[in-house]
Amino acid sequence: MRESAIALLLLSGVSTALHGQAATPARLEGRVTPAVAEAVRAIADSVARTGLPVGPLYRKALEGGAKGVPADRIIAAVGTVASQLAQAAKALRSEPVAHDTDAIEAGGYAINAGLSAGQVADLARGNRPPQAVAASLRSAGTLAALGVPPAQAVALVHQWIAAGRSPDQVLLLPQQLQAAMARGASPAQAANGIAHGGQPGASGDHPEPPSHAQDRSHRP
Amino acid sequence: MTDGPGYHPMVQRLLDGELTLRDLPPELRAEGEAALRSILPGPESSAVGFSPWFEQRVMAAIRVRPRPQPRPRTVWGWLTEAREIRLRLRPKLLALGALAGVALLVLTLVSRPTTVAVAGAGAGADSVYVRFVLYAPKVSSVALAGSFNEWDPGRTPLAPAGETGVWTVTLPLPPGQHTYAFVIDGQRWLPDPAAPAVDDGFGHRNSVMTVTATGGHTS
Repeated sequence: MRESAIALLLLSGVSTALHGQAATPARLEGRVTPAVAEAVRAIADSVARTGLPVGPLYRKALEGGAKGVPADRIIAAVGTVASQLAQAAKALRSEPVAHDTDAIEAGGYAINAGLSAGQVADLARGNRPPQAVAASLRSAGTLAALGVPPAQAVALVHQWIAAGRSPDQVLLLPQQLQAAMARGASPAQAANGIAHGGQPGASGDHPEPPSHAQDRSHRP
Repeated sequence: MTDGPGYHPMVQRLLDGELTLRDLPPELRAEGEAALRSILPGPESSAVGFSPWFEQRVMAAIRVRPRPQPRPRTVWGWLTEAREIRLRLRPKLLALGALAGVALLVLTLVSRPTTVAVAGAGAGADSVYVRFVLYAPKVSSVALAGSFNEWDPGRTPLAPAGETGVWTVTLPLPPGQHTYAFVIDGQRWLPDPAAPAVDDGFGHRNSVMTVTATGGHTS
């Protein structure tokens, strides 16, 4: 519901901007039509007022312009990015954790990849620095983008965090998944294999999954 | 002219090689054969011998001559020592090796962004050089556009590797996650087949590249 309100606010901002003829943002000049530039600027202004990062909005507009996407679709896509950022920020702010614009952008990325706002909040739990939160969100988002069911992706990232993996190691978790998929496993099977320590070919760069470490601790 | 001991003039000419035995009249052939036997070595010729004294001197001289001593074997000597090397070319094995090499090259290069080095001159302090590679034969141009270059295909063209159809570019990227796509002939947008992809919001997919301090990774 709150997202709908944000969307309405954004669209009203777009309308105001289109009639107000404000200055075109320099980075959009020549890359999109003046109408799109104005609409994006209006959305960005609204987003900035709520403390959210605006970089992803401009990048999405530039991407749409480069790809030759019609103006209305560029504006809609920018609005979607703004909505995803707002959802991510809300989810992150619901948790008593430190977060920054990178974590919010990572949350928006994870939502775009298929995670729910609840799953974003779930990944943000724990007393961890913003960099670690962002890495978790990006890793889970990429796992979902590769085809792992979001709930399974979140569980796997949690497992790695619990095992004391560094943010870089968590970021590289999808690489192991891709390696397992290259050997014929489905995304879910590959994720399950990693979770249970069954993935072959783990290199020294990627430490053993938690289940291995736990097994070893029980050995004499 | 060979001077024989009172031979007939025709026999003399035989000895000089001007005539053959057949050229001689029958009555002179016996004389001709005898003359030839007297100047040509035959199987009955006795072997040339040396006196025992001469043989002893030669053998004594050989015994007195110092025998060459083998030099101590060194690493350099071992390395520079002449050796006989025999190579047996087996066409089937050669063909298999060549095929394996080509397959390895293609697997390594085709559509596989790879990290080639960690930050150097021209890159930011935390940037990592990442190499993007795409196999795209029979196209005029390939460019890279993504979140790292404001989605501007004009900024990052890929260079062709001869006539192989392989296109590459290396650029510094800051750590983080980047979305990108290849642009073929300035028109066709192609996500990296070797990288995970996410919805781009326009009905297509963008590839995702994760850059850490250890390099770029297509996941």
